[in-house]
Amino acid sequence: MGAIQRIVQWSRVKSPWVIHFNSGACNGCDIEIVASLTPRYDLERFGVLLKGTPRHADVLLASGPVTRQIEDRLLRIYEQMAEPKFVVAVGTCACTGGVFQGLYNVKGGIDRILPVSAYIPGCPVTPNAIIDGVVKLLASLENPPKKASAG
Amino acid sequence: MGTALIQILVFPGLLFLAVAGLAGEFIDRRLYARFQNRMGPPWFQPLADFIKLLSKEELVPDGADRGLFRLMPVFALTAVVTAFFYIPLWGTSALHAFSGDAIVVLYLLTIPTFTYFLGGYTSKSVYALLGSARTLTQLYAYEVPLFLAVLGPCLLAGTWSLSELTLFFQARPWALAANAAGFVIALIALLGKLEKVPFDIPEAETEIVGGAFTEYSGRFLAWFRLSFDIEMITGASLLAAVFLPFGLGLGFAAGFGLYLVKILFLIALIALIRSLVARLRIDQMIGFCWKVLAPVAFLQVIVNLVLKGIFFS
Ligand code: SF4
Repeated sequence: MGAIQRIVQWSRVKSPWVIHFNSGACNGCDIEIVASLTPRYDLERFGVLLKGTPRHADVLLASGPVTRQIEDRLLRIYEQMAEPKFVVAVGTCACTGGVFQGLYNVKGGIDRILPVSAYIPGCPVTPNAIIDGVVKLLASLENPPKKASAG
Repeated sequence: MGTALIQILVFPGLLFLAVAGLAGEFIDRRLYARFQNRMGPPWFQPLADFIKLLSKEELVPDGADRGLFRLMPVFALTAVVTAFFYIPLWGTSALHAFSGDAIVVLYLLTIPTFTYFLGGYTSKSVYALLGSARTLTQLYAYEVPLFLAVLGPCLLAGTWSLSELTLFFQARPWALAANAAGFVIALIALLGKLEKVPFDIPEAETEIVGGAFTEYSGRFLAWFRLSFDIEMITGASLLAAVFLPFGLGLGFAAGFGLYLVKILFLIALIALIRSLVARLRIDQMIGFCWKVLAPVAFLQVIVNLVLKGIFFS
């Protein structure tokens, strides 16, 4: 890796801007995502900022199973993000479909639709787990594991 | 020619301003975080944000005027950097001074607002359109009080040149006390210009996602953010030159240190206000600017004219 790539890599690890998208969650995970962005947990320490528009964001925090209704919208939001972009599945539902698995209107986990870089299980996930997951995702960007499947 | 290039590109031009702007953004964000009882970002955060944005893909929305969309961030940056050259910083004279530069600086500081408007207007997104409409509406509210507040001291000194203005106040520091109200007005108007809380109505992330910058990404967003940071430094320098022209004859080292202290003081004030108050609605903002700020600014002008009539005619 050249010096410039290394600096760029460093800046990406240090400045992940997130956008939060509810793809059909029961709202439990969303409340926890919002809670983890409050001053108590102070995610700005890691450079994390919540952005309202997918154009500015690097990380898509998707919570909940993908319903048939939301599928198109989820894809559209993902395509509006600028490269390089990552998807984090927040909550058991987002990882596998969870309690909503097998419903007629549910497609399953986020990875049915989008390439997912990190899975954070929990029902609902605690803010600590979200922070841990995001930090691990960033660490894996610094030293990519052998068979990384980054989106 | 060589020195001019260095002045424009390195010191006190683009490079110095970029470093100062990023440092200013850090101080602002860190103080804001400390006021909220949290740690806040590390010192390299604005730099990391900037490099990351530079290295990201840039998207131009369908239907946008590609040229205009790409040019606007560059225009914004150029205007704020140009304005910086006409403001006296650590000496009594600006890098380039001529009679009438006070007005030129004020107009140069208006250009970025128009670029935000045009950039948002051409991105063909509803949110960006709303944001740009608010940007312009807000401009009509704070611009008049800002102009009146800055031009009041100029009337008192009987000059339209910032450098001569600082010389005038250097000789008569007591005349500054008459302009305390003007300082407060200019500071509040500067908050509107920088789109900081309580006047971040055009950006209002919780209601219109990103305002005029909704569709901006990558490099263009990085230039816009940098121009905001530099605008903060330029605006603070303007306020420091007009309302706090103390100790300008101290030579370079001491004068430069004093200049940094003044800028830090102003940035800390901005961060303090930002953490104390919440966002206003656009109609409240305009009502406040026209019903409170503008009349007080007019009073300020009258006080200055009377003082001038009594002491300096
Ligand atoms: S994981 Fe649990 S809390 Fe989260 S969306 Fe699914 S059911 Fe709700």
